[in-house]
Amino acid sequence: MTVFSTITRKVRTRVQDSRIAQVGLLAAMWFVGNQISHGLGLPFPGAIVGLGLMLALLLSGWVRPRSVQRGAKFLIGEMLLFFVPAVLAVMDHSEWLSITGLKLFAAVLIGTIAVMLGTALAVDLSYRWWVRHAVL
Amino acid sequence: MPSSDALVSGILWSAVTIGAYLVARALYARWHHWALSPLLVAPLVVLAFAFAAKVGYAPYIEGTHWLMLALGPATVAFALPIYEHRMMIRKHWPVLVIGVVVGSSIAMLSAWGLAAAFGLSDTLRLSLLPRSMSMPFALIVSDDIGGTPDLTAVFVVVTAVIGIAIGDVLLKWMPVRSSIARGSLFGMGAHGAGVAKATEIGGEEGSIAGLVMILSGVTNVLAAPLLVLLLN
Repeated sequence: MTVFSTITRKVRTRVQDSRIAQVGLLAAMWFVGNQISHGLGLPFPGAIVGLGLMLALLLSGWVRPRSVQRGAKFLIGEMLLFFVPAVLAVMDHSEWLSITGLKLFAAVLIGTIAVMLGTALAVDLSYRWWVRHAVL
Repeated sequence: MPSSDALVSGILWSAVTIGAYLVARALYARWHHWALSPLLVAPLVVLAFAFAAKVGYAPYIEGTHWLMLALGPATVAFALPIYEHRMMIRKHWPVLVIGVVVGSSIAMLSAWGLAAAFGLSDTLRLSLLPRSMSMPFALIVSDDIGGTPDLTAVFVVVTAVIGIAIGDVLLKWMPVRSSIARGSLFGMGAHGAGVAKATEIGGEEGSIAGLVMILSGVTNVLAAPLLVLLLN
């Protein structure tokens, strides 16, 4: 009995610690999220539903963080690989080598400066206000 | 069933893409400079191969599209950092909400206004709107609002590279001292690449940047149906 339970525990730990199994678990949550999203006709895709489900499972303690940690770190860390194909769409747009490309670049540059300045200032001001007024 | 030619080309271009990614990652590990960011180098290497082989986007994406399927589970994986930083969210939620709302609003309004000012087409304008979000969220929102996700992908990458190139400069002459503001600047302005950059500044900055990136992505996807109403 004890030998048996030791073995099952070891197997379970192996599976839980394996990166591929963890990626599989996250993919399964994505699949379930898709089913729910389609089934209920939700206005957002399965990946978001899956994220919500995964978070609920973690918060409720049904899934231990350790059981998804390695898989999640892998998927998030290597995400660039997964979207490189989409970025290659640029090769169908040789017209961007003209003034349009310059305009696009300027729009992104100016917009990003605005986003960074605006966000940092808003957060800094509200944080300072909050620190001053919060009951600590 | 794809023809065997399509299968061979799919395997070939997938190998080129993965190889380019690994090379770009190794280069960046060796020389840590924004101009060598894998975001830039990996697509450029693939682009060079595609030009040399005279292959267009359609056959390329047909063979490599399967890689993008992993963006779904990767989005689900964002649940983990949210869970791990739940105490930080509880502690700082009002400030995080302000950062996400202000940052997302500026991102969309600036894209809209600048596209209009430069006389860019509707397709380009709609595809520019989600450019400050992390890639999986940006692709979803772009599709929702009638943009072209492939174009959005390009703008998202350009945003990230510009963001990590100018973030330090902006911080140098801005009177921002709190680590939460520095983290928000990178998470909101340069998403994934910004999170990496913020992590180099400090652990708290990195955590905040990651949270801001994920929370703004989720918020924007949930708000996209509203945005569609607004745009019509």
